[in-house]
Parts: sequence; structure tokens; C-alpha cells
Amino acid sequence: MFNILDKTLTGPPIEKREFEFKLVPKLTKEVLKEFGLEKTYDPNNPINTDLTLAKDFYHAGYELALRLGMFCPDTKRRVIFTDEELKESLRDVPTEVTLGYGKDKVTIRSRVPEDGKPPVAEGSALGLSVSEEYFIPLCMAIAQYKVIDIILAPTLDMINGREIRARTPYETIMGMYEAKYVKEALRRIGRPGMPLHGVEGAPTEYGYFSGFLWGGFEPDRTIGIALIPEPISLPYQILHRTVVNHLIGSPLEAGHMLSIGGYFGPPEGAVVGAVAAQILQVASMFPTVVESTILDARYSVNTNREALWATSTSMQARTLGNKVMNLGITSQISGPCTDMLLYETTTIAIADSVSGVAIEIGTRPTGCRYKNYASGLENKFFAEVLKSSAKHLKLSDANEIVKAILPKYEDKLKNPPKGKSFPECTDLKTLQPAREWLEIYERVWKELEDLGLPRWK
Amino acid sequence: MLSEYLEKLKVAVIEGNAEQAREAAIALKEAGMSPLEIVNAAIKPAMDEMGKRYERLEVFLPDLVLAGEAAQEALNVILPKEGAESLIKAKVVIGTIYGDIHDIGKNIVAAMLSANGYKVIDLGNDVPAEKFVEVAKKESAKIIGISCLLTPSMYYMRDVIKRLEEENLRKNFYVIIGGAAVYPEWAKEIGADGWAKDAERAVELCDMLVEKGEEVPKPIILGEWR
Repeated sequence: MFNILDKTLTGPPIEKREFEFKLVPKLTKEVLKEFGLEKTYDPNNPINTDLTLAKDFYHAGYELALRLGMFCPDTKRRVIFTDEELKESLRDVPTEVTLGYGKDKVTIRSRVPEDGKPPVAEGSALGLSVSEEYFIPLCMAIAQYKVIDIILAPTLDMINGREIRARTPYETIMGMYEAKYVKEALRRIGRPGMPLHGVEGAPTEYGYFSGFLWGGFEPDRTIGIALIPEPISLPYQILHRTVVNHLIGSPLEAGHMLSIGGYFGPPEGAVVGAVAAQILQVASMFPTVVESTILDARYSVNTNREALWATSTSMQARTLGNKVMNLGITSQISGPCTDMLLYETTTIAIADSVSGVAIEIGTRPTGCRYKNYASGLENKFFAEVLKSSAKHLKLSDANEIVKAILPKYEDKLKNPPKGKSFPECTDLKTLQPAREWLEIYERVWKELEDLGLPRWK
Repeated sequence: MLSEYLEKLKVAVIEGNAEQAREAAIALKEAGMSPLEIVNAAIKPAMDEMGKRYERLEVFLPDLVLAGEAAQEALNVILPKEGAESLIKAKVVIGTIYGDIHDIGKNIVAAMLSANGYKVIDLGNDVPAEKFVEVAKKESAKIIGISCLLTPSMYYMRDVIKRLEEENLRKNFYVIIGGAAVYPEWAKEIGADGWAKDAERAVELCDMLVEKGEEVPKPIILGEWR
């Protein structure tokens, strides 16, 4: 890490605007042109089936990583890596990690496109704000399904009725509470050794560090989180987390979200950007798993046509190009108790699964806009589709299913159904889904079976 | 000749070429065209076109930003030193609230506002509440736009409004909010003047506030779920 920290002090100086609005788009256009990848987006085939194209994108993304480097906003310098440094860091990545205790132990492994072994399914309501009263029940509702292997808590809304304000002692308290609450949920549901991922609700180092104090998230059971801001920035706030996770010996997720329409431009730009982000995160943060998500800035989802193509192409590129364990997320805009949420979940879970994701995080209903709009059932559905598609689908099968499902919802992305909140679509005594929600689940699964995706047993 | 320069200016703005925008603007000014005519015949249509192209994914965030800068360069040439304010719709102070370092959503909104005739003062990310108020006062802004992606940061939005109230300045500014963490009910709860679901609607929201903000009930919510 010292070498990386030194680079933040010695790299070539650059202004933020120059890096974001000029250098990133310029170099992205350059590599797309040089590798002949402009206008390769194919709207008629939302899941890429051309692995040669994916490999070309990997080479272009690698070149972008080499030419661009990262931007440290604290020192206003570029963090640039040599070819040798990038290659060495990729050579040394872990390809397998086991987390958790006893019968709840889970192993995450590197995968490749059309890998028959299912990825690890992580249940969640990632980034969604949840009231204190529903926090433990929602975690229990998710973890009750054995098809879910690991859990990431939602964002705790309040502590003892107090607002959790960023960078205050309230946030520091929250970090530990998140760990205690999610572990209590797992104890109550009978899965006390289930692996964890956190601290989800910490916007700054305060909540993050407190979550990893003794009694909180155990380092041998938990994947830490260090998400760098777009476009490929490396702030000290994130390096603090990275350093702490390495010091305590905890696995680490390095993550980056990139928007189609944003700094990297079109879907093709997003693909090379996501590859470059993956490689640069490995070189700068030495993570265990790497997230390099592509969203569409117009809808804030990764379930529309352009994002699915870019996600599948970039995931294939990354899994073919190196051995990194890739983490994916599903990011939907519709709410629980709607068929649209399950359709959105289907397309992105299939896209990532057949393209080689190692671990996939479950649902983010309503794009996280509405408090308490999440439930256990969409997580169960997500995990089943994720695992079944890994086992049963080739890329071409996946493409056909996604082509059949997309028209059911893509015209509603700008005006999606809000659905129902956790208490409205869940029996809070039994934690079972409401009849209406279960009927939607059964109907959509039947549709998927008819399209050739067997139910996960 | 005038139409040729107008076309040159329009193309320069669309291509984000500040130097060519400046040259075309000088030629039009020397030819005696009024600033309002130049804005309506070249700059505004160019920016409208950029907004449409962005929605169709034909141009992207950096293109919007560079187009806004080229338009600004032309405006600097054609606007008289006195009375220049009358040709911009309003000044908007914009930023991502304290504790939150995400800024792509805010950058898209800022670019779209610039593209639509607003003078945008961008404070960046992780901005303390008092900074919004301080700069809005100094710049005599009309609108304060606050973005937030993370729930634990959204509470600081309320602090901006509280501070304006404490300084008896609340009526001087419209406060609008947006971003993944915030929702219409939150705008109501903290006493904001508006909430918009996306960048396109954020422009519409600012237009509504500038044109008839005194008359309409607030908060104005644009893009509510069905």
C-alpha cells in the first residue's frame, strides 16, 4: 500500500475537471477507435454472445487503465501504473475465498462465461433506507431462504429515534449497530455463521471503522466495502477503508459504478471504462472481490437494454481477461410486489450469471428511492434465477430469454410502479410474503420455465 | 453573412468549441446583432439540441459540460457589462451535500441547467450547509440546488433551510433537492421548494420557480411515481 500512497503524492498534477471532463472522454474515445470497438453496441442482442468481441474490449480496457490511471482528489494528482505493475497485481489476485462459520460457510470462486458452477448469491436491499423497527425483520426475511449465501444489510434509517448524520458520532454508533442488528437477525433465523458484507450504511470512515471494532463485523467472516467515486477516483476516504481492512486481515470489495451517458460516454465506452476500473482497483487497493458496475444514467438502473449489453460484454471481458473474482449488483427501479421487479431482476441476474460473475448482490427495488420498499421474496427469486441460469443456460439461451422479457418492462422504466413496502407485502409474524406477492412470484417463474429456464431446486 | 455566423456559433456550441464560439460571437456583435437575438437564434437552439441528443445517448455528460462552457464564452462576448443578468434565467448555486462525495448526478443537472440558460455556480461535493448559504448570498442566486445520494447525508439538507430561516433569508431563495437518497415526502418534510426525479425535470422545476414561483404551491414535485 505504501507504493500506492506514495503515488498519490508524486503523480502528475491535474485538476478534477480536466481529468473528468477532458482526459477520461478523450482517452476512452481513443481506445475505442484504436481497437475498432466504436458502434459495436447491438440493441437486438442485449446479452453479448461474441466472446472475441469481449476479449477485444478487455484489451482496450487494459490500455485505457494504463493510459488513464486514477485521480486522487485530495492531492489533485493522477495515480499512474506501469504495465509491469498492472500485470503483477493481476497475477497476484486471490481466486477463491471462504467466509463464515460452520454450516453457513461459503466459498466464492472466480468464474468464466458459461461456467456451470453457480455464483454466490448475496441477499440485500443494497442502499435502501429501512426503519429501525423493520431492519431486523427484513434481514431475517431475506436470510430465511437457504438459496441466499451471504447477506448485506440495508441502510439503517435511525438509531433510537435519532437521525444518523454523516460524519457525526451518530454515524459512529450506527456502524456497530448495523453489525449487531444483522448478526442478531441471523441468530434468530438460525443461520448464525452466515457471511457478512459491510459496513453498508457508513458514508464516511467513522461508521465504517466502528463497524469493524471488536463485537462488530468479524474480519474472517465479513467482506469490507471500499467504493470509489466515478470516474475512477481514488480519494483518501476510500484508501482509509482499504488500509484498515488490510491491517485487520479482512477480505475487501473494491467497487466502482459507472454510468452510460456519463464520463465514459456510450455503452461501448462504459464497457472499456468498467474493464479499466476493475484493473485499476486491483492495482491500487489489492481487493478480494471487485465490483465494476455499469448503470444507465437516464434511468439509474442496470436492467435496460443498453446497460444489459454493456454489463454482459464487460463482465465477459473481465472474466476472460484475468482471474479476478467479480462482484455484480442488480439495480432495479420498480418496487416489491410487482411483476416488473421480477422481470428486471431476471434480466440482470441472467446477464451477470452467464457472463461469469463470482458473487452477485440482490435487489435494489425502486432504485432505493423509497424507505422500506424491499422484501425477502425478490431476493429469493434473484438467487434462484442467478443459480439456475448458471447451471442451465449458454450465452445464446440467455440472450433469447432476455429478449423475451425486456419488452415486458422497458417502456415503463421512466415511470415504474412503486409497488408495496415491506410491511405491506410481508406477514410480519411469519415473515412470509403476502399471497398477492407470492402469486406474482409463481406466475413469473412459470413464464421463465416456459421460456426454458428451469426452477432452481 | 449573419446567418452564416449564427450557424457557426450554433455548431461551435454543439461541438463544445469555446474558441470558435467566441470568434463567431465577436463577428455577430460587430455586425450589430443584439445579445437577445444571438441567444435566441443560436445559443438557445444549440443547447436545446444538446439536451435532446443527450436523451437519445448521442452526446454525453462531458459534451454537455463543454457545450455549456462554449455557450458561456459566447455570452461573455455578447453580453454588455451592465444588464447582463437580464439575459440569464437565474443564478443557481448547486452542490452535493456534506458527507457525500458522489457527484455525477449533480454534474448532469448542472450541465443541463447551463444548457438551458442558467448561470450555475457549482460548489462540488461534500459541501457544508453554511457554504450553500454563504455563496448563494454572495452571488445573489435565486435557486439553491442540493444533491444527495446517501441517507446519512440528507439530513444536512434541512440545515440549509434552517440556516436560511435563522438569517431571515428564506424568502430570498428557492431551495430544490434531488438525488437517489431523497424523495418527494422528504422535500415536504424539510420545507424545500421542489423535488425533481431527474435532470430534465430539474430544469423544468427551475423554470417553474423562476417564472411563477410566487404563485404555485410548494414544494413542486416533478416526476412523482404513479
